[in-house]
Amino acid sequence: MNPSPQVDSQEILATAQALRWEVGKDFHEKLMEALYTNAAEIADRAVTRPGEKPRFDLDRSIDRIVTSRRWGFLLMILLFTLVFWITISLANVPSRMISDLLIGTIYPALNALATRLGFPWWLHGILIDGIYLATAWVISVMLPPMAIFFPLFTLLEDFGYLPRVAFNLDNVFKKAGAHGKQSLSMMMGFGCNAAGMISTRIIDSPRERMIAMLTNNFALCNGRWPTQILIAAIFIGALMPAYLAGIVSALAVVGIAVLGVLLTFVVSWFLTRSVLKGEVSSFSLELPPYRPPRVMQTIYTSLIDRTIYVLWRAVVFAAPAGAVIWLVANITIGGQSLAEYIINFLNPLGILIGLNGVILLAYIIAIPANEIVVPTVLMLTVLVTGLTGAGAGAGVMFEADLESTKAILVAGGWTLLTAINLMLFSLVHNPCSTTLYTMYKETDSRKWTTVAALLPLGMGFAITFVVAQVWRLIFG
Amino acid sequence: MPEPLFAILIAAALVLIGWLLFWPKTGIIYRWRKARQVTDRVLLEDALKHIQRCERHAETPTLQSIAGALDISLNQAAHIAEELQSAELIQIENGAFRLTPPGREYALRVIRAHRLWEEYLAEQTGFDEAEWHDQAEQYEHLLSPEEARNLARQLGNPAYDPHGDPIPSSSGEFQHHPGIPLSSMEPEKPLRIIHIEDEPEEIYAQLVAEGLSPGMNLRISEKTLQRIRFWIGEEEHVLAPIVAANISVVQLPEELVEKTPPGAPLATLKPGEKGRVVALSPRLRGADRRRMMDLGILPGTTIDVEMTSPSGDPTAYKIRGALIALRKDQAQLIQVDNKPEELPL
Repeated sequence: MNPSPQVDSQEILATAQALRWEVGKDFHEKLMEALYTNAAEIADRAVTRPGEKPRFDLDRSIDRIVTSRRWGFLLMILLFTLVFWITISLANVPSRMISDLLIGTIYPALNALATRLGFPWWLHGILIDGIYLATAWVISVMLPPMAIFFPLFTLLEDFGYLPRVAFNLDNVFKKAGAHGKQSLSMMMGFGCNAAGMISTRIIDSPRERMIAMLTNNFALCNGRWPTQILIAAIFIGALMPAYLAGIVSALAVVGIAVLGVLLTFVVSWFLTRSVLKGEVSSFSLELPPYRPPRVMQTIYTSLIDRTIYVLWRAVVFAAPAGAVIWLVANITIGGQSLAEYIINFLNPLGILIGLNGVILLAYIIAIPANEIVVPTVLMLTVLVTGLTGAGAGAGVMFEADLESTKAILVAGGWTLLTAINLMLFSLVHNPCSTTLYTMYKETDSRKWTTVAALLPLGMGFAITFVVAQVWRLIFG
Repeated sequence: MPEPLFAILIAAALVLIGWLLFWPKTGIIYRWRKARQVTDRVLLEDALKHIQRCERHAETPTLQSIAGALDISLNQAAHIAEELQSAELIQIENGAFRLTPPGREYALRVIRAHRLWEEYLAEQTGFDEAEWHDQAEQYEHLLSPEEARNLARQLGNPAYDPHGDPIPSSSGEFQHHPGIPLSSMEPEKPLRIIHIEDEPEEIYAQLVAEGLSPGMNLRISEKTLQRIRFWIGEEEHVLAPIVAANISVVQLPEELVEKTPPGAPLATLKPGEKGRVVALSPRLRGADRRRMMDLGILPGTTIDVEMTSPSGDPTAYKIRGALIALRKDQAQLIQVDNKPEELPL
């Protein structure tokens, strides 16, 4: 046998081994760079682009204005104020209509139907007072603003304006370790945090995307605005003379929203420097050409993709919550309802942080949807105080006009501190289950979903605790 | 309801205890776990590394030098040396420690894990340059040879770590870099950085702050006993000789010099100006580098500066027909020739 081939292969291996150290450190990069460069050269030679205009002059002129020092920020503030104003002012009417239809008309009809069919009282209660009512409530509060806000937002996106907003604001976000596009997911969060979670997909850098997801909850979503507005009107506006009441309570709500934005930056800053330190981060932001928005298509896709999708998830979570709400108020042990036991148990903690047991229980069973917190609080307060002449029975959520709402809450032991702390806690607490589920779907990580739930919850307890103690020190 | 002042004091006490216990780096839990990690094995491995290092630099490892390098007492060092000797990892020749072949193999395995981990941190995570070394100091003791092999495969079997140190192969082969300390080079020759020493920490931090990295080309313009002044592209750096001694360089062959014309960072261009990319800085690593290449930022690409954000950063660039915004610290790492009209298009 001839041994030389073996010797040869040994030699080749040895040579390769020796050469390995000589090709240098950046040989992979050099190779990759050469491949890319080669591809680009071939493309440049082979592809002709007939009639290629330099850059569309109109585009450039628009960019000059929307990113100029003088007009950039002003235009941005005007546009978004307009979007929010349209949303709020237009959503009221359909919200009222849906509420009238679902709760004013269909709900009594269902009650009558159940009575005629001879449902046992508990089945009647769970199905209609529990599940149906909670679902109807969520739909009537949630659907109209989303159906208006999302298409408007998507139109701006389709036109090509939103990336310019990210461009203008990036420097601010960069200081907190975040990506300029987080401004957009945050804005989306003002509509709905679950939709905000999905919209973080536009951020392609892993670390910055995680920051955007973990802080999206600090954008006050449309399920929480009504709570803020109601409580501010009852407790804070009422401190002022009548002509100032409106403006002061509005300022209080805006103050809470601004606090949310500040917290977004603080928490983003903290996250980049602690838990997210080692995550991969790479910035890039494409500013696509402007184009006339395709109105019909945009409205259609934003309704289907965002509104209906989010609404469906909310309904899926709200229905069982309705059943739970009815059950805790109606299951009695030794003459006391389950709700009262839990409330008595939670009361010491609640009082300590300037809230009360009713509010904490309401936040626990209303995890699926922030929309039903106030109706649940009202129902539970009537239940534990034994008020007569208010409410619609154990386990049945309701809303009342301002005066009687205030009367119920004050009877439940509410003070100005309770109101302020409820507003703070409503801003800083765990995201709703729809949002958490979306987060889990997007990240496929239990760990980060848990962080997203516990971080704001812990902060909420800390903030309300400190406010309560300081308040008591000052006002006794 | 508890007294509010009392409640605040209790909460503050709880926060303080939590902080003392759990704070990273200084917390008691962290220190306790760290102390548990510094087992005998870790000390043995660190001692082997130290002896290997001394052999490489033709210094004599002694009990004192081991105690100093590992930050332990002389007694402990003696104990470690004894154990190494009885495990036949070192032997004593003329009163000096020498590695035995198995000892050398062991030391190289630890060094391999250390450098692979640094390369991993540089390429596939977002950790800061300053943190690589400390982390690798821990993981070098934790990676099994099997894990090291998997990590190497995942990284594309790199030959050098981000500081330019060779990574020993799994069979322990490697070649030292042929670099010469920058402090002993003569002015005006074209040089390339091939290695930056990451110890001691203070000097390394200074080099990182200067933005120096293996793969960069430089030219010394002035050399005195007090300082060395050199240029990288159009950027001037001044270092004390003792700092410059931690940079190893090789001479660039003349034909390579022609190919790499000096450039200015893209970040120095104003809106309305244009430049042609000549190189991506070696400091542009991992995901960020791949992103730049994905966007078509390659040697030869012409880039127009379009506009700057009203908040000052980022800046939008016209790249291959698309408008892309890059941050200042990224644009700083792209070297462009800012007089592309003189070049044939």
